[in-house]
Amino acid sequence: MGEIGTTWTARGAWSGIVAPGVFSASGAGVNVQLREGLGIASLIASREQEPMLGRALESRLGLSLPTGPSAVSSASHTLVWAGAGQWLLVAASRAGVAEDCAGLAGLAAVALQSDGRAVLTLSGTMARKTLAKGCMVDLHPRAFPVGMTALTSIAYIGVQLWRSEDGPDGAVYQIMVPRSMAGSFWSWLCASGMEFGLVVATGQD
Amino acid sequence: MRIACPHCGPRDVQEFSYLGDAKPQRPDGMDATEAAMADYVHQRDNPAGSHRELWYHGAGCHAWLVVTRDTRTHAIAAVETMAQARAGAPA
Ligand SMILES: [Zn+2]
Repeated sequence: MGEIGTTWTARGAWSGIVAPGVFSASGAGVNVQLREGLGIASLIASREQEPMLGRALESRLGLSLPTGPSAVSSASHTLVWAGAGQWLLVAASRAGVAEDCAGLAGLAAVALQSDGRAVLTLSGTMARKTLAKGCMVDLHPRAFPVGMTALTSIAYIGVQLWRSEDGPDGAVYQIMVPRSMAGSFWSWLCASGMEFGLVVATGQD
Repeated sequence: MRIACPHCGPRDVQEFSYLGDAKPQRPDGMDATEAAMADYVHQRDNPAGSHRELWYHGAGCHAWLVVTRDTRTHAIAAVETMAQARAGAPA
């Protein structure tokens, strides 16, 4: 059994799809950070479980469970609303996420998604202009402030999009897609951002 | 056409799937007569005007919604979650 196992190699969701570099007609208007090594879990609670789940997460992570389309963050964790009674727990490192979830037994249906989703961070002066080419949700800062999330589709790909704290170039968007769609998503993003100049890096935050 | 999802806010109609009339209630299991079952499966009103219908927010929050839409103008008078629709008087 072990013999067979050794032929498999773990690799990141973006590996073989996009590597750090510059994709540009001219300029550098869009920064893309490929997020590797995140710990991700989906949490689904019944209406009865929800208050107990909220208390458990509050005491472990110091984050209160969003009841509407928003995302709340601490230094190490983010809780993202993902539909009524559903959330994503995103941890900076995948090492502790199983442990975070162990305490939630009986409070939610928990499924680890660390290998199931691909995440990238989009920033830069032209990030919103780039997203506007495929995203039907209004991302104007008045309509989509820091901490807001949307489940929507971009280029027919289901995305979970949320806005984290602003960076030096303004709005910062976190985008999560099913891992099997990472290649298609990159092909849309590359085509859409090329005119503004895409600078791709890899890293934790 | 846009539908204001109670969870997500206003979204383009292409994020949703139409599932038809919200009114028919499934007859109770094995006790239902063939005629009642045939009615449930096949018979639908076709009003020119207000219609309560099911929409599924498949590209968004995956909630089932009950939308009250005018079939002549597509004007939407109300959008309820299933929980809200069940809490109200059944249509
Ligand atoms: Zn929705």
